[in-house]
Amino acid sequence: MQKYSIFNLIKNAFSNHQNWDLAWKDPTPKKEYDVVIIGGGGHGLATAYYLAKEHNITNVAIIEKGWIGGGNAGRNTTIIRSNYMYDDNALFSEFGMDLWRKMSQDLNYNVMFSPRGIINLAHSDAQINIFTRRGNSMRLNGIDAVLLSREEVKEIIPMADFSDNVRFPIFGGLMQPSAGTARHDAVVWGYARQADSMGVDIIQNCEVTGFDVSGGKINGVRTSRGDIKVKKIGLCVAGSTNILAEKLNMTIPVETHLLQACVSEPVKPVLDRVVTFGAGHFYISQSDKGEMVMGGDLDGYNSYAQRGNLPTLQHVLTEGIAMMPFLSKLKMLRTWGGIMDMSMDGSPIIDKTHIEGLYLNCGWCYGGFKATPASGWTFAHTIAQDRVHKLNAGYSLNRFNTGHLLDEKGLGTKTWIS
Amino acid sequence: MLHIRCPHCGMRSQNEFAYGGDASVKRPELNKEISDLEWDNFVYLRKSLRGKHLELWQHISGCRQWFKVQRDTSTHEIFKTIKANEDI
Amino acid sequence: MSQNFRLKNIGLINRDKKISFKFNGKSYFGYEGDTLASALLANGVHLIGRSFKYHRPRGFFGSGVDEPYAIVQLFRNGESVANIKTTEQELFEDLEATSVNCWPNVNFDIGAINNFLKIFLPAGFYYKTFMWPKSFWHKVYEPFIRKAAGFGVASIKHDQERYEHRYEYCDLLITGSGPSGLASAYAAAKNGARVILAEDKPRFGGTLLTSEVNIGNQTGKEWAENITAELKKMPNVIVKNRSQVFGYYDHNMLVMSERISDHLSKTKKYSPKERLWYIRAKEVVISSGSIERPLVFGNNDTPGVMLSSAAKEYLKVYGVLVGKKPLIFTNNDSGYETAIEFKKNGVEPIILDTRKNPKSEIIDEAKNLNINIKFSYVVVAAKGYKKVKSAEIAKISEDKKELGVVENINCDCICVSGFWTPTIHLASQSGNKTIFNKDIDAFVSGQAKQEETTIGAANGTFTLEETLKDSFNTGYELSKKITSNDNKTPTPAVVEKKSTKHDKFWCVPLPKGKNYKRFLDFQNDVAVSDIEIALKEGYRSIEHVKRYTTLGMATDQGKTSNLNGLQLVSNIENKIVPEVGHTTFRPPYTPVTIGAIVGREVGKHSKPTRKSPIHSWHENNNAVFVDAGAWLRPRYYKQGNETLFEASKREAKNVRKNVGVCDVTTLGKIDIKGPDAAELLNRVYTNAWLKLPVGKARYGVMLREDGIVMDDGTTTRISETHYHMTTTTAQAANILSHLEYYLQIVWPELNVNVVSTTEQWAGAAIAGPKSRNLLQKLFPKIDVSKEGLPFMGYIEGELYGIRARIFRISFSGELAYEVNVESDNGNYMWEKIIETGKEFEIQPYGTEALSTLRIEMGHVAGSELDGRTIPYDNSLEGMLSKKKDFIGKRSLNRKAYVAEDRQKVVGVIPLDKKTSIPEGSHLVKDAKAKLPNPKLGYISASCWSVEYDNPFSLAIIKDGKNMIGQKLFAMSPLKNKTIPVEIVSSHYVDPKGERVRS
Repeated sequence: MQKYSIFNLIKNAFSNHQNWDLAWKDPTPKKEYDVVIIGGGGHGLATAYYLAKEHNITNVAIIEKGWIGGGNAGRNTTIIRSNYMYDDNALFSEFGMDLWRKMSQDLNYNVMFSPRGIINLAHSDAQINIFTRRGNSMRLNGIDAVLLSREEVKEIIPMADFSDNVRFPIFGGLMQPSAGTARHDAVVWGYARQADSMGVDIIQNCEVTGFDVSGGKINGVRTSRGDIKVKKIGLCVAGSTNILAEKLNMTIPVETHLLQACVSEPVKPVLDRVVTFGAGHFYISQSDKGEMVMGGDLDGYNSYAQRGNLPTLQHVLTEGIAMMPFLSKLKMLRTWGGIMDMSMDGSPIIDKTHIEGLYLNCGWCYGGFKATPASGWTFAHTIAQDRVHKLNAGYSLNRFNTGHLLDEKGLGTKTWIS
Repeated sequence: MLHIRCPHCGMRSQNEFAYGGDASVKRPELNKEISDLEWDNFVYLRKSLRGKHLELWQHISGCRQWFKVQRDTSTHEIFKTIKANEDI
Repeated sequence: MSQNFRLKNIGLINRDKKISFKFNGKSYFGYEGDTLASALLANGVHLIGRSFKYHRPRGFFGSGVDEPYAIVQLFRNGESVANIKTTEQELFEDLEATSVNCWPNVNFDIGAINNFLKIFLPAGFYYKTFMWPKSFWHKVYEPFIRKAAGFGVASIKHDQERYEHRYEYCDLLITGSGPSGLASAYAAAKNGARVILAEDKPRFGGTLLTSEVNIGNQTGKEWAENITAELKKMPNVIVKNRSQVFGYYDHNMLVMSERISDHLSKTKKYSPKERLWYIRAKEVVISSGSIERPLVFGNNDTPGVMLSSAAKEYLKVYGVLVGKKPLIFTNNDSGYETAIEFKKNGVEPIILDTRKNPKSEIIDEAKNLNINIKFSYVVVAAKGYKKVKSAEIAKISEDKKELGVVENINCDCICVSGFWTPTIHLASQSGNKTIFNKDIDAFVSGQAKQEETTIGAANGTFTLEETLKDSFNTGYELSKKITSNDNKTPTPAVVEKKSTKHDKFWCVPLPKGKNYKRFLDFQNDVAVSDIEIALKEGYRSIEHVKRYTTLGMATDQGKTSNLNGLQLVSNIENKIVPEVGHTTFRPPYTPVTIGAIVGREVGKHSKPTRKSPIHSWHENNNAVFVDAGAWLRPRYYKQGNETLFEASKREAKNVRKNVGVCDVTTLGKIDIKGPDAAELLNRVYTNAWLKLPVGKARYGVMLREDGIVMDDGTTTRISETHYHMTTTTAQAANILSHLEYYLQIVWPELNVNVVSTTEQWAGAAIAGPKSRNLLQKLFPKIDVSKEGLPFMGYIEGELYGIRARIFRISFSGELAYEVNVESDNGNYMWEKIIETGKEFEIQPYGTEALSTLRIEMGHVAGSELDGRTIPYDNSLEGMLSKKKDFIGKRSLNRKAYVAEDRQKVVGVIPLDKKTSIPEGSHLVKDAKAKLPNPKLGYISASCWSVEYDNPFSLAIIKDGKNMIGQKLFAMSPLKNKTIPVEIVSSHYVDPKGERVRS
């Protein structure tokens, strides 16, 4: 495979960039694979990559209904963090942070991982205490966390509202300095390019129409581009989990909801952290292009629409202005929606299923993007070894039967109330 | 913003309502002996498919009645709204 | 400065009113009615800014929302505003603007070095480099790239402007006031429909203002003016200019932003800057017209290259010549119309037509005017750096692949026309599929998914005659459907020149040996070569092309670039355009001010504030408030220089010693009435309720169905079928909905009604050993003795002439009562309690003292009942009835919930009895263990025990029941604290509960 580097870039400039290789090929599906990953998002591509890299399983196909990265991988607000309270979430995410730090070099593709730090603002002493519990838990798990006073917050993000005309004054914040952002599309393309180079078939415009299951075992998958024989299938289709589960006669503790995000027009750098509002649901960062990337609440009713309604955005932006009044003067440039797998406790599922050879990766709620490498890594392990890794042991399906729930927010099963 | 017909009050904007999720969930009767699995399925499993979806809403800033809405989850088209004790 | 490019006798500007303005520090004049763009062009200014990536000089390309790059920083009334399109900004007195994305200035821009490095900066170059060394991306490369990106500067000053919202209902919303919009609005209005006509620009009429047509016996412009004037007079019509319908949402809700003040030097008093309209329309008529499509050739981003329709608009609306030696480059007849206007105004244009031998009335007119027309000719490249000075042109072969000899031709502007692209954004946002119309080589709306109709140029109808016919008919038919009226307005006769077919050709090939950049997306610097690279590298889906090259992702959202990009992809991939598909259209159509979307809910009004009726008393008595949900509650009452810690200790001590009073109005209160009320309570609470006598209260715990504690509170039986329920402040609204859900959906057979009475009652908790003495004074007529009003008793009484409810309940663990009166009497009650209580040394206490009191008693509250704990965790297992079923009971037998070492609430005391343990600390066995250090539990609440005068905390800890007596460490690495502690019982004070019963 061609190496990407400054030298190669210069070299290729003199041939007018006519000699770059395909980042990934466009193969027709074979009749049989060892493993088929359904879903060409970040998680699916990462899974295929780690199957090849860590487990030497390369006779793998990724089947994607549309174009790779067209789902939530390309619709998120690119935030990467491991600021979780529960050990299962924290240790899994922190394992992922390590993979993020190495990713550009590992994939030879600049994914622009930028550890710019995330600040969760707190607006009361009670909230400081809740954040303290989480921050201390992070520290005891070996994850960086800093508690900031109001003055310290002001120093870092002076554009937040420190005036008197404020409904919820800022009391302080919890910061994870090593958290940050990355270029979402680059993550998809980087994994795709490497997976492809190791022999994985990336098959786009290929829709799953059914499964071949008999005797409780997976035998194959039916697609719009023909039937494929396979013994192991990894389902990695956040947003469409329920649609595919139905074809398997399964019901999964996941509801499908819409989350909107928007960006402002690009402006010169003014905000170099990720900041979340504590008196509502709003988060913001500024992209390398200069756009303010903003997100918040779910639209609040089950949705597959990939298009949202304005009241939610209005609500989200209201909180944005409450946090940083200067945003009021900027213009909202682009909005979009992503279809979320909202699990019943807010945490994901990476597990085997009652069908032999069928593995499930879903329920990522708002947190799928940052989990991309760790999810791919652990899912690949689960598929290759036919057993969960200790990192994803907490993400079992049967926790909804045993009561070992991972409810970071304490909101229970009303997934639409965020 | 959705426009929802409350079966008691008429057409109102979405901001008067609160969502209540899958209307097909049926709570097991009190004191009924059921298996752990049946119970867990009641607590955690919901219908959440693309297309027609029967769901509960409450007219929270109005008559406060819960009622059922049949809506397409991919287009948000509302086919029908009915009272809580009615069936499609 | 004189306006060298302003014509004398043409245009719609007001020449009686001169307006002075500054651009990049230099003073200029324009006229009322100018845009900043037209005024600058009148002054011969073409260099406006620099492009995103290569910092190439940028001028004007369009004349409205489609403008890809004439963007400036605007200074208005002391505010600095980023990214203002000069083509939309109307001129006002003393307007100041500066160029963006250039340093030190627009004429000499250091960043332009990128233009020389451009061969090293193809699409996606940053994905291929900046990876070594590892730490350099975030620290070195990225800051550099970030600085280079972005356009204007966002000032972090708070916005001083006001924005408003308005809700409106109408029969027909018509989006755009060109010929189709005016005609359909007129026909519908005449037929009695309630119409809203929205026009983005300041002037109504759209293309009628610039085209040479007649309608009836009037010119197009006169007709537009007359129809508009008539519409404005009609009571059933709202006519709005400067108003962009930018979003088509579900159930025919559309949103429009009205720019009320942007054209004024400052916003008028009592007037908002912008107003956002939420419009629910029975029918929508999309009459948004079309946008001219550019032609792609070498250096086509040079200032002076612009759309021919823009050149015509500058000429006819603003009386401005965009050049004196114009070159018109066209693949259709529209370019001729612009050329004819130049010619009529004394300027000699040259037309390059890509077609071989087209024939039409318009072309004949140009020929008759002796305009120099070169057929089968193309512009190969624009010459000149900061302004077009000449053009390389050449003949092109019939198959459009071969260029003839390249000639140089003098010109000072190049007006391009690549035919027209219907503006289908709103139709697409509505959910409609799009259809590729081969006749016009553009997408039009497919079948309407909501109640909407697309007409005129927006629907690909480019002749006026047809447009008017359709539009009058649409207005009539739609209004008839809604109003059932039948007044049909006749369609007037139209005189227009016929045109002929356009050429299916947009992108000029490169001449041999030349490597000109041919731009598609002018703002993001996306050129033909970038698309080629993307495809070559396998980024083949149109979404991948867009994301890899950033085509169409700039602030103009690809209004002029998307279709040319698609065409190029389809040519290279050998697919037809509809197979390539297009990226999705999403709101907003044009960028919308965030403040306008938010409206008035800013500052202190960003969320509602709830205040108790006793609030002003608290304020007058130095209360320091704390947010409790939407409520403001006194946290403590400050005396002198007291700190929070000192004050809360004083207040809590006084409760333990004398008597205190606390405003508990914020607690949720629900009236429950009906013959089955007891049965309802018995099902929603975990304990038994059927035998609670009238006049008695009981503490209850509610679970969610998953077994997690949802809320707690007391409920009192007021009469046989009437109960008064209290909930925590935070859960009040949820609990009401919860009860209604079970009553209406699950157990409709229960005959019970519930209603919130939170706002109806003001409440005061009177707590402390002297509370009975005080109560006796307050209610001299009732027996409040231990026997007369026992613990958990309820009685009604009269407090200085007002009706009151008295509950003997306690949260503090002391002998305590709660008195409720109707809200209006709340303050009166409070004052009477304080006044009467003086002799008992009463003091008001706030939430902080309240917390202290409950923590040292071991009462669980919000910090333990956090949506993650079951009854056992909170030592509430005694509240679980074994005999009956209740909500959530069935979940309590799960494996994790019944685990031997299940977590449980305990008390924690620092071994030194001095060091307060920060809330949120974790309990560990070994403070020095290597990370991750296993955590046994966490400190949920801490206080300074006023009973024992030492710190005391509550914790929820694994295997809690066996941990009493253990010595552990409470660690708060965030605060750098490790405190040796002992685990004790959570019931620190009065464990037997004797005081509350005294």
